[in-house]
Order: sequence, then structure tokens, then C-alpha cells
Amino acid sequence: MIRFNPDAAGEKLLRRLAGGTSRRGILSRLGAALVAAPVFPLLPVSRAEAAKPDRSPEAKTAFARSAQTKDDTKCDYWRYCAIDGSLCTCCGGGIHTCPAGSEPSPVSWVGSCINPDDGKAYMIAYRDCCGKPTCGQCGCDNIDRETQLYLPQLNNNIIWCFGTSSMEYHCSTAMMIGAA
Amino acid sequence: MTRLSMVARVALFATAAVAFVAPVMAENVIAEAEEASVSTMEAPKANWFYVRGGWGSAGSSIFDAGTGKMVGMVSTSRDSDLAIDPDGKFYYVAETMWSKVNRGTRMDFVSVYDSKSLKLITEIPTPGRLIVGGFTTNFVLSDDGKTAYDYNFDPASSVNIIDMAKRKFVRAIELPGCASLIVNPGVGFSALCADGTLATVAVKGATQEITRSAEFFDAAADPIYSNVAYDRKKKMAVLLSYTGQVRTVAMGAAPVVSAPFSIQEAGGMRAADVKPLDIAWYPGGMQPSALHRPSGTLWVLMHKGEYWSHKEGAEEIWGLDLAAKKLIKRIPVKGHPRNIEITQDDAAMIMVNGMENNATIIDSKTGEVKHEIENAGGGLISVVEPK
Repeated sequence: MIRFNPDAAGEKLLRRLAGGTSRRGILSRLGAALVAAPVFPLLPVSRAEAAKPDRSPEAKTAFARSAQTKDDTKCDYWRYCAIDGSLCTCCGGGIHTCPAGSEPSPVSWVGSCINPDDGKAYMIAYRDCCGKPTCGQCGCDNIDRETQLYLPQLNNNIIWCFGTSSMEYHCSTAMMIGAA
Repeated sequence: MTRLSMVARVALFATAAVAFVAPVMAENVIAEAEEASVSTMEAPKANWFYVRGGWGSAGSSIFDAGTGKMVGMVSTSRDSDLAIDPDGKFYYVAETMWSKVNRGTRMDFVSVYDSKSLKLITEIPTPGRLIVGGFTTNFVLSDDGKTAYDYNFDPASSVNIIDMAKRKFVRAIELPGCASLIVNPGVGFSALCADGTLATVAVKGATQEITRSAEFFDAAADPIYSNVAYDRKKKMAVLLSYTGQVRTVAMGAAPVVSAPFSIQEAGGMRAADVKPLDIAWYPGGMQPSALHRPSGTLWVLMHKGEYWSHKEGAEEIWGLDLAAKKLIKRIPVKGHPRNIEITQDDAAMIMVNGMENNATIIDSKTGEVKHEIENAGGGLISVVEPK
């Protein structure tokens, strides 16, 4: 079987992180990441350690081949390649803005999505907005390189409202982290 | 409004209601005052399906596979996990609630319900759990039903051990990088890991020994679905990957993972690939496979498409003879279902459901649709597993 693993290095990093850290370790790293967040947009995969994936037309997923860059209230907007849930852009928020009264989760799952305008891949952090009932608008479930619970940073079913005052899920944003 | 005037109005309304309604109902009315009552149920039956509502809804409706009728409901709160006592006496629900509904103090616990009265017997407090729902492997019971393993993620991963006989949380075991719990009889439990291994946690009193298998799958390139099926009698787990690679695992202190075989090749087709633009039949859904343990048949929701379509609803259900590694049946299915389960009796009735909240009961032997149930629920389906 030919292995298609465009983000191998980034994922290796995640796996190393997941497989080699204690709870205290992960909390301290999380804390450090939160403090460092304004300086390094590194959660949870740093730009420097990300892979140089094959983004030729032949390697593009069905989502990437039909993605658009104009309307971020549609499921086929390019950044949403691995999003699951209600789009915050349809709920009174924005692409990286939580709707009023909700609270962004400090942690997220990630996707590696291709911007069709430049053909390059970018790391996107899907941060949930928490603390209000489910928005219910613009429900999407895109699954490029989406995995299962044992690789949680790449799983889009988990409610990532950790570290927020309420764990109730409202909607999901798609923040740019950097080039993948 | 004063209390007196409230009473007066109610009395007036009641009098008027009798006067108005009585003539219409005269022929059907049995002139005896009735008393409100509550029914009881039978113990869990092999031909029952427990069907979760759609995402975010509470309650698992119970349907009889023979009649297609609803016979009751287990109170499974939003994103909770249901486990059925192997002896059939209890339903266990691992759940999370807050003191002020969506905020306030978080409380995690296992609710214990009597299986016949469906009354809450007790709650077992736990330190936490992964709030996700939709998976069979986050809350599993040992074969004798005496121990529960409850997966927690906060966001570091650990497993809570709960003594179900004493109804008491025992302790938590950290298990970084692993999830998707599989019961491992006489040992403890095993779990799939991000590094492509199977971790086995041998629980020994207050300590544990964690060992890892050799790497046998790529968790990023061709993940194995978290909803792993486990057969108590054969002490065997069945793993299905996104491309349709099937493996069996003989559980034990050192679990033995079989060589994979392709579900497509088992049907005389070429194996599906992970490359884009490669159209093939792939497994898909949230709960994409169901194991009929008595016959060793794996039933898989399949759709035509490209890779990374692993949640897509099905066009067909494929029946795979695990021992012979042969595809034995293909059943076309409507409504693009994303969940499948099968009763563990000789009738081997399949239920599928999907985003529309409707369920279909299908005879796996003939492929015939037996019942279509509107608003049955669109979530995870559970069945009673043989002891």
C-alpha cells in the first residue's frame, strides 16, 4: 500500500508529544503554550517542525480540489478541511472570533488545509467557542486527515472546551497558525 | 392571582370540561376512576436495539428487532456512554453534568439503573471522563461485569477503574497517547495508540504494568476506527481501518494481532488505497461496523468514494466472514446510514440509522427491510452482547 502521509513530521511531533508526556508534563506544556501564544502561534504544531507535504493536484483530496476562498460561511471554505460542528461565522462570530457571550477554548484540534489561491498548505487550529448552547447554524463535518480518539489533536469529534469556564459547545472557528 | 381564585378557576374549568366532553366520549368511557401507574420492563433482551438520539440529544430508545416497536428508554444524558451489565441486571451510564446545567460545578459519575424498573439505584462519582459520546470504547465492562474502564481526557489521557460490585471508583491510570479501550480478560484492558501500537495495561492491585505491541498500523495515514468490536466468548477484538484493512486481535497478556486483510480483496476487488482520485468502496460512518459474534461475521457500512471519506454514509452493507476472509453478502441500503449494529441472536437483525434520525431494521440473512422507524434516533446503537 502506498502511504500518503503529507504531514508526517508534524504528526510525528504530535505523537511524540502524546506518547511521551505525563499529565503534569502536558499541563505544564499547555501552560507554557498559553503564555507563549501571543509570541509563537504554535498550538499544537509549530511551523518550524511541520512537514513539506506533496500538494500537487494528484495529491489533493476531494475537499481541496473543490474548496473556495470567498465565503467563510460555507462548509467548502478552504480552511474548513477538517472542521466539525457549527461555523462561528454563521453564529454572530467570525473565522477566528467567538460570538458574543461565548469563550474560546485555549486548546484545539488542527487541520492542514490547502489555500486554492496560492496552492499552499496551512496549519489551521479549530478552536471551539464554549459556554453557550449549540449554535446549530451551518453544520459541517469535513474530515481531511481526520483521525480517531487515540490521536486527539487530529480528531474532530472531541469537544475541545477544556480550560474554559463552561464546557458547553457553541461553535467552531478556524484560526490560521501558519504555513504547513 | 390568589390561591383561592386559582382553585376556583381550576374547579370551574374541571366542571366545564366534564360537561363539554362527556357527551362526546360517552360510548367509550369506562365509568371507573383510573390510577396512574408505571410499567416495568423485561431484562435486556438479545433482540433489542438501544438507539441514541442525534448529536446533543439525550436518551437511548429501546426497539424490539422483531416488532420494530419501542419498548422503553434508558436515561443517557448528552454525550454519555452506556454499558449493559453482562448479567442483565443493570444499565450503567457514564455521564457528566454541571450544577447549573451548562455551568457551575462539574460532576462526573456512573449512574446505575435497575434494568427492569429503569429506576436510578445509585451514582458512582468519578474524577472525570471524555465528553464526546458516539463511541463504544470509552466506557467498557470486564467480561464478568465487575470492573468498568472509563476513558478520561482532560486533555491528557487516563483511564478510570471502577469497581462495579462495590460501586466505587478505584483509581486512575495514566495512558498517554492511547484511547479506544478493549477489555482484556484476566489482564485488564488494552487500547489503541497514536504510535500505531496496542497498549496493554495489566492491572495488579494498586499497580499496573503497561506494555506495547509492535507497531502494526499508521494512526495518521490509515487509522483504525475507535469503535472496535470485542467478542467475550472468543476473547477477540476486530479492528477495521479507514481503507478497509481488517485485523483480529487475540486478547491476552501479550495480545496477538493478525495480519491484515482487505475487505475489498475479500470480495474479489482490488484493495482500496489512501491516494486521492482513487475511487473505491470504503468503510464509512461513526459506527461503521458491527460484529455478529455467533457467526463471526463483520457487517460494514460501505460507500463508493475517495480516501478521507471515512464518515460518509453507506450505500451498501457488506457482510464479511472473518474466518474465511470472504465477502458473503452485499445489501443495498437507503438513507446513507452512519451507524450499524446487529443483534447477537440467531435472527441476526441489523439496525442502521443516520443523520435523518430514522432507523431501518434489516434481516441480515435475506437483506429484507423488516421495519422502518421514524425518529428512532440518529446516534450510536448498542445491543446486548453474549456472555
